Amino acid sequence: MKERLQQLQDDSLLALQQAGDLKALQGVRVQVLGKKGTLTEVMKGMRDLAAEERPAIGSLVNTLKTQFEDSFVARQLELQQQDIAAKLANEKIDVTLPGRKNTPGSLHPVTLVTDEVIEIFSRLGFAVAEGPEIEQDFYNFEALNIPKDHPARDMQDTFYISDDRVLRTHTSPVQIRTMMKHKPPIRIIAPGTVYRRDSDITHSPMFHQVEGFLVDDRVTFGDLKGVLTHFLNEFFGAGHRVRFRPSFFPFTEPSAEVDIECVICGGSGCRVCGKTGWLEILGCGMIDPEVFKSVNYDAEKYSGFAFGMGLERMAMLKYGVNDLRLFFENDLRFLKQF
Amino acid sequence: MIVTYNWLKEFVDFQYAPQELCDQLTMVGLEVDALEEIGGNLDSVIVAKLESVEQHPDADRLTVCQVNNGTEVVQVVCGATNHKTGDLIALAQPGSVLPGDFKIKKSKIRGQVSQGMLCSEKELALAEDSPGIMILPSGLTLGQPVFEALGLKDFQIEIGLTPNRPDCLSVVGVAREVAALCGQKLKLPVSQISEAADSIEQQASVVIENSEGCPRYAARMIKNIKIGPSPDWMVRRLEAVGMRSINNVVDVTNYVMMELGHPLHAFDFRFLQDQKIVVKSAQQGEKFKTLDNQEHSLTADDLMICDGQQSVALAGVMGGLDSEVKDNTDTILLEAAYFKPTMIRRTSKRYGLHTESSHRFERGADIDMIPVALDRAASLIAELAGGQVLSGIIDSYPRQLDPVILEISAKKAKSLLDIPVDCDNIKQLFESIGLQTQTGNCSDCLQVKVPSFRPDIEREVDLIEEVARLYGYDQIPVTMPVGTVDAQLPPLRQLLQKTLRQTIVAAGFSEAMNYSFVAADSLEKIGVTAADSRSVQVKILNPLSEDQSVMRTSLVPSLLETVARNLNYRSSDLSLFELRPIFLTQPENGQSVEPLSLTAVMSGQREPEGWSQSSAAVDFYDIKGVVEKILTKVNIDNVSFDANFSQPYLHPGKSCRLMFGNQLLGFLGEIHPEVLTRFSIDQPVYIFELDVENIIATAGKYAQFKPLSRFPDVKRDSALLLDESISADQVMDIVNRSKIRFVESATIFDLYTGKGVPAGKKSLAIRVCYRDLEKTLTEVEVSKSHDKLIRSLCHLLGAEIR
Repeated sequence: MKERLQQLQDDSLLALQQAGDLKALQGVRVQVLGKKGTLTEVMKGMRDLAAEERPAIGSLVNTLKTQFEDSFVARQLELQQQDIAAKLANEKIDVTLPGRKNTPGSLHPVTLVTDEVIEIFSRLGFAVAEGPEIEQDFYNFEALNIPKDHPARDMQDTFYISDDRVLRTHTSPVQIRTMMKHKPPIRIIAPGTVYRRDSDITHSPMFHQVEGFLVDDRVTFGDLKGVLTHFLNEFFGAGHRVRFRPSFFPFTEPSAEVDIECVICGGSGCRVCGKTGWLEILGCGMIDPEVFKSVNYDAEKYSGFAFGMGLERMAMLKYGVNDLRLFFENDLRFLKQF
Repeated sequence: MIVTYNWLKEFVDFQYAPQELCDQLTMVGLEVDALEEIGGNLDSVIVAKLESVEQHPDADRLTVCQVNNGTEVVQVVCGATNHKTGDLIALAQPGSVLPGDFKIKKSKIRGQVSQGMLCSEKELALAEDSPGIMILPSGLTLGQPVFEALGLKDFQIEIGLTPNRPDCLSVVGVAREVAALCGQKLKLPVSQISEAADSIEQQASVVIENSEGCPRYAARMIKNIKIGPSPDWMVRRLEAVGMRSINNVVDVTNYVMMELGHPLHAFDFRFLQDQKIVVKSAQQGEKFKTLDNQEHSLTADDLMICDGQQSVALAGVMGGLDSEVKDNTDTILLEAAYFKPTMIRRTSKRYGLHTESSHRFERGADIDMIPVALDRAASLIAELAGGQVLSGIIDSYPRQLDPVILEISAKKAKSLLDIPVDCDNIKQLFESIGLQTQTGNCSDCLQVKVPSFRPDIEREVDLIEEVARLYGYDQIPVTMPVGTVDAQLPPLRQLLQKTLRQTIVAAGFSEAMNYSFVAADSLEKIGVTAADSRSVQVKILNPLSEDQSVMRTSLVPSLLETVARNLNYRSSDLSLFELRPIFLTQPENGQSVEPLSLTAVMSGQREPEGWSQSSAAVDFYDIKGVVEKILTKVNIDNVSFDANFSQPYLHPGKSCRLMFGNQLLGFLGEIHPEVLTRFSIDQPVYIFELDVENIIATAGKYAQFKPLSRFPDVKRDSALLLDESISADQVMDIVNRSKIRFVESATIFDLYTGKGVPAGKKSLAIRVCYRDLEKTLTEVEVSKSHDKLIRSLCHLLGAEIR
């Protein structure tokens, strides 16, 4: 009996090894362990054995069964791996062909820069405000301490809609509109489209500005320097020197222009900075008491600062765009680059 | 404003090198736009001596010169005739580039070597014309650059002045700032006049009728002058600061204006009738010819200088043609006056006459400078044009301008600027620029007398600015503001704009920005007629061109132009949008409003043709898909796409409007082929326009969570045979509104007409998904619901099951 079992074992293990594919392997299993399988037959014959033989033979049969099943699983795994390897060998693609993609859209570079500026100032607690583009003379000029017949009006060539309505020449009227509605403390950033009657290679009759202002008690010129230096470091990266120098705007006093060390040449002088090593970036100053008067703020109690910058210029510096006109030609080859 | 380095040196003794001076000026608020060395690139033109001059062996009109350049003797061939052995001349050595980009090279002229060129004044841009080469004065060092040797070396400094600083519209004004910078004293020019016996009072008189416009008018008279050219030094100075030389008298008035900042005018006394000056307002409609030969029709607001009979000058702006200085003028009346800035500005603007004079008067001239400037000019004219200055000065000064006295609190300056200054510091700073101070009304205050040359200082805060400026902006500390911040939700309007942009960009669109102003006929081009409210456009009174003369009421024309332009650039697959305001006029009150519009165009192929996909042109359903995606993102559902409308620029069969109840949200469709023709576009263009204001009003603020079922869904498909006229919307409407139990969602997955479907009918296949939140649905429950749904579709739409 033992010999018969041993023979059976040898035959079945050999059959497993010889099975060339999973189907044949499954066939061997049926031959051995199926309803009429060789090992099944042996197990069926157990009841005919003498009682004293049964435990030894039973134990042997179980061992053989376990051995067979382990070998089956091992051979099955082997054949599966062979199958996968064969399959993979046949499935080679050209990975250098271009991928399938949704053609991506793009935001206008001026929008990107606007969003970035807003984001930086948002972290400092500034909220966004807006105002109309067709603006009353009062908000655009008078309330900002730019009376009629004042030479300061020459600083901005104006498009007129009527005697007292203009296309706003700056975003500063949003200061007035906001301050008339809200009492201090106030921190506002106001991006928008502005218009000046000037068109050449470096001037567009329509462009974009961001205005910002902060009013509270105890605001100092030092705070103005701090906030704008922080902003420039976040926008252009830290490490560029920043300088403030006296200037004039009718709605701020003292007024300043802010220059940043040229981000192109690092201050050694290049075409972009006109060989000066500095880029003029911002106009700013402490809000003039006349402006506070026109919005009914108590100039003795409050102080504040305001600033403004051209967004096309920021975009030109950030992205290295060398021609202002590209922003409004809407050539898809340009727009897709951002 | 241009000044020169050497001219500044006449008034202040400073040590700064030119570039350093410019940096310093920029940092005190006089921004230097350009620094240019006069004769800067002519250093290789040097002083040399003619050792010999001989006839050229092969040319009659040329000489061969042996020239000593200080280190060696070189040979130069020269065509001039006014030179001789021993003369010092200007030698342009090989490598020099003379004005006009004239390059000097070593060459051979008719067989003779020539190592450079002997220059004329003209060739060095020192004179407009010159008869021969320049013979230099003896005693100069050989080999020294000519400009340096002649003391012509100078630097032009161009300052971009802000309008608040009229005091710096002169060399002396800038010198005052330089003096403050380096702690030196300002030296004003001193005039010495030997007056003739007869006095001006006997010869002429001045009457001011409009003293508001002209608070002060002073005059001097000079007789027996001889009009002629100005000396070289004056011509060069004027040219260096950007003025042309006219004649010795006019040049002096300009020179003194540039030097002291006060505009002057010289009248030919022969043409002043009744020998008098009257300052008064013009007659309304009066005609007057200025010296540029332009005739103007005046208004009563113009201030005029008149003689006894008629107008002779547009006060402070420009003189008249008749009384200007002529070649044979022998007596002049010299005017120095102060005019009210706003009057001068209005007149200057009205006639488009912007002159050096009006520029200064409208910003505020220095009324105390009048006698100084007058004497300076009189002495220079006597020196350069001969003649005698009559004794005395007419100084009509009916309205004394009160000096401005201000108080500044050191504490206030300290707290606003965050710098440690006290009264003593401030006093010191102020005195450096000529502001006189004395102790103020409190211990912490200074009283400041503002000099007449600083009309911009009117208030305490103006003084604080001077403190900051003189203290140095770079010395002010860098701090961060303390204080409170109001917390609030960002406005929905801003959030939604951002969402709209992000969504449409994710759908493959690129953002365009067109000018807000367009041609007035741009609406006609898209077929919008006068009956349409969009035809009421806001007009610009002073447009740059007709193409930019009205504010746009629709983004469609601009975007179609953008499409046409890009097609020209050979970009044919386009997805572009603009999110910008349009400028409408409210019919009820005529007020302008600026609602935002989101307009997008799509044209060409959906995807670029590639190895794995063939090209397919975009159609209506692409643009509709984008609209649907946007609506989902802004949480608007239950909209209807209503084909029952018309828009002149859209294809009548492939367009619709987007409605939310009765609220119009926008339009979408294919652009009308006739409109495309007008824009020279030769491929279909699809468009949608969304009224962003209505979207904002309708949008759900946040997405609202719906609970998820943990039980499986069951899908049932049915093909419905329908009349061709039944729309997909009608079918989906019934599905959505039937309130049949367990319906989770439904989609149309097939549309078929053709074989097997009778004419006039179509087959529409829908897939309905059933699911319950609480349990797994049984076959019976699903069948019951689905049968009910199909029955109502059959009943309501006359559908049959295929």
